Amino acid sequence: MKLSIPRACGSWCKSPVSTTLHKPISFYSSIPSSSPLKPQVPLFLRPPIHSATLSDLQKWHHWAKTLPVPHSDDPPDPTLLRRELKWLLEDALEDHSSVPQMGSHSDDRPIKLRTSLEQLHSVWRQRIEERRPFQYVVGCEHWRDLVLSVQDGVLIPRPETEVFVDLVGDVVTKNGDLTQGLWADLGTGSGAIAIGIGRILGPRGKVIATDLSPVAVAVASFNVQRYSLQDIIEIRQGSWFEPLKDVEGKLSGLVSNPPYIPSDHISGLQPEVGWHEPRLALDGGVDGIDALLHLCNGAASMLKPGGFFIFETNGEKQCKFLVDYMENESKGNFYDVKIVPDFAGIQRFVTGFHH
Amino acid sequence: MIAMQILHNSLRPIWCAAPDTSHKPHGHPPLHLPLSSALSHHHFLSAPSRFSPHVLFASPESQLDMEVTTETSEWAMQDFYTLRRDVEATSERAEEIRASAGLQQLEEELAALEMKAADSSFWDDRAKAQETLLALTDVKDKIKLLTDFKTQVEDAETIVKLTEEMDSIDTGLLEEAANIIKELNKALDRFELTQLLSGPYDKEGAVISITAGAGGTDAQDWADMLLRMYVRWGEKQRYKTRVVEKSMGEEAGIKSATIELEGRYAYGYLSGEKGTHRIVRQSPFNAKGLRQTSFSGVEVMPLLPEESLDVEIPEEDLEISFSRAGGNCRPITHIPTGVTVRCTEERSQLANKIKALSRLKAKLLVIAEEQRASEIKQIRGDAVKAEWGQQIRNYVFHPYKLVKDVRTGYETSDITSVMDGELEPFIKAYLKFKFSMTLSKQN
Repeated sequence: MKLSIPRACGSWCKSPVSTTLHKPISFYSSIPSSSPLKPQVPLFLRPPIHSATLSDLQKWHHWAKTLPVPHSDDPPDPTLLRRELKWLLEDALEDHSSVPQMGSHSDDRPIKLRTSLEQLHSVWRQRIEERRPFQYVVGCEHWRDLVLSVQDGVLIPRPETEVFVDLVGDVVTKNGDLTQGLWADLGTGSGAIAIGIGRILGPRGKVIATDLSPVAVAVASFNVQRYSLQDIIEIRQGSWFEPLKDVEGKLSGLVSNPPYIPSDHISGLQPEVGWHEPRLALDGGVDGIDALLHLCNGAASMLKPGGFFIFETNGEKQCKFLVDYMENESKGNFYDVKIVPDFAGIQRFVTGFHH
Repeated sequence: MIAMQILHNSLRPIWCAAPDTSHKPHGHPPLHLPLSSALSHHHFLSAPSRFSPHVLFASPESQLDMEVTTETSEWAMQDFYTLRRDVEATSERAEEIRASAGLQQLEEELAALEMKAADSSFWDDRAKAQETLLALTDVKDKIKLLTDFKTQVEDAETIVKLTEEMDSIDTGLLEEAANIIKELNKALDRFELTQLLSGPYDKEGAVISITAGAGGTDAQDWADMLLRMYVRWGEKQRYKTRVVEKSMGEEAGIKSATIELEGRYAYGYLSGEKGTHRIVRQSPFNAKGLRQTSFSGVEVMPLLPEESLDVEIPEEDLEISFSRAGGNCRPITHIPTGVTVRCTEERSQLANKIKALSRLKAKLLVIAEEQRASEIKQIRGDAVKAEWGQQIRNYVFHPYKLVKDVRTGYETSDITSVMDGELEPFIKAYLKFKFSMTLSKQN
């Protein structure tokens, strides 16, 4: 099976293997804001303490546009690269509107930058020559109406995953009780889903977001604080349900975008993903289904009656497998189990309720 | 008529008019202004500081004197004649505009609105009251503007009359008259333009989408040339001009691009650019250098603020297609009408969808307005295709140079300037053409 959308994969830092391998150590603690691991500040939030003349910037822009892409079976799309270059400038310039069209003016106006011209050369070289993901280059990803900090070691939230928030929005509109309940986002990575949901639930909602990786925990906490949601979202470090022992059977909602790529597909991923994103966030075991099965099993005991769940999968095959599993193996635990396609029409999500 | 005038007047500065010697003053001695013959009449009133403010007229007795300085006085007379002729022309123009603007009707409207505002129950419906007050201000402003036109003409006329009757000439006064006329003509231009640009979305910003036609690299290069042309135009107009989407061609040029122009009346000016633009040239992408014809499509939509997009489109009427490249960028089709908008280049999926949807709504609103459909449901998709794809302009680079608008017949051989964004004459010719079409339809 060739991965048609190689970037659509799970978030990082859960165990790639079935949790039976995990020792039942309770690895759980709420991370205070003064976490020892300091997340990197995304480019667009850095102070504009650097400066370059417009013509030097134009020279750099021209260099970047024409930097040859090394030969590859899976080269980056030139249109996408051009767009990324535009976004890089947006993030790097203090006042992007001062340069309406690169190349149509020419003067020695000083332009204030959030990074040096040398750095711009170096990061764009990494983008082209090392295929470093653009989001790691600028340290952020625009996701829904959020701008989330990301860095090496944290999975970049994917556009497909934006649908989670719409699905939760629909469910809580129909069932207002769920708004006031407790939600959990397992393997939160950058915190994207938790923050998206937290904003929907509002002040009376509560989300616990877990992750095994200390980097992810630090980055997610940073993002939660940037959106002032620390009263609604609590980040806990630990594997899957382990940090949630105190809320067993109390969850109104459970969401997760786990690693779901079959192990032997990892090498075929596009370089940006395969070479740079955390393998633990991608690799879902032999069939890619290990983490998803663990989540299914845990959902039955963690959700309260009427509680809602969404899991993201690799596509049709995994969706059907999960639905079949819930209807047969895990009989009687769930109802209204559905497959929901993503915007590309690929069967991507499994949703349902706990009896 | 109005449309004719606007073209005429806005295309030439008033002091550049050739002196009309047939307009001789009646019953007055020839004017004798001691101007340096080196100064052209063009500079006369615009650079007044060089002249002493008070100049004595030559008395009728000093005829001899006059003979000697024929050249000088000839210039001087022409300056005054030019001014007087301009005052006359502007007076006529202002009268015409005042008549066509329906001054009487406006005054009736004002009276009606004032009566409404004076009603004791006026503030019962706050929203409606606000609306009435806005309309009242609008009408008042318009009446004031039209009254000002008249006052200003009268001021200039008085100065001309005074000068004719006086023995001496007051350069300061003449200068004032010239300024009045200059400013008045600008104001009249603006007024006429707002009359021409009175469509519901004309004063909004604009979104231009350019799509390369069939024809491979040559067409894609042509699309890129059009992109540059419109960006240049936008920058010259001082609109905030941004290329918000651009899809590169394989070898050269672009497959498509979208430009956003923020600023007043951008849509009004550009709406006539919608259609197919055709290029004829010796293609640089054609090995044999043969003459080649390519096409590119241009669509123009208003850039409407979200709150004005009062259209509900049911989710099931939308088809959001998927393009793998970029993951985020997907065109949206309105299934019932087949109207499609391209994806945008926002950085998140949600932002793209919101933007694409508002583009789609704007496009549907414009089409509904064009087809005089009261509802989106009534839009005929086939008609959209036929009309929006109509060929509107030819750009011939070879064997001769010519840009010619198919609709208005306006043409120029200065193709370089056009490609540099000099679209003014084309745009004005089209607005005039559209206006006369509307008038003839009404009659």
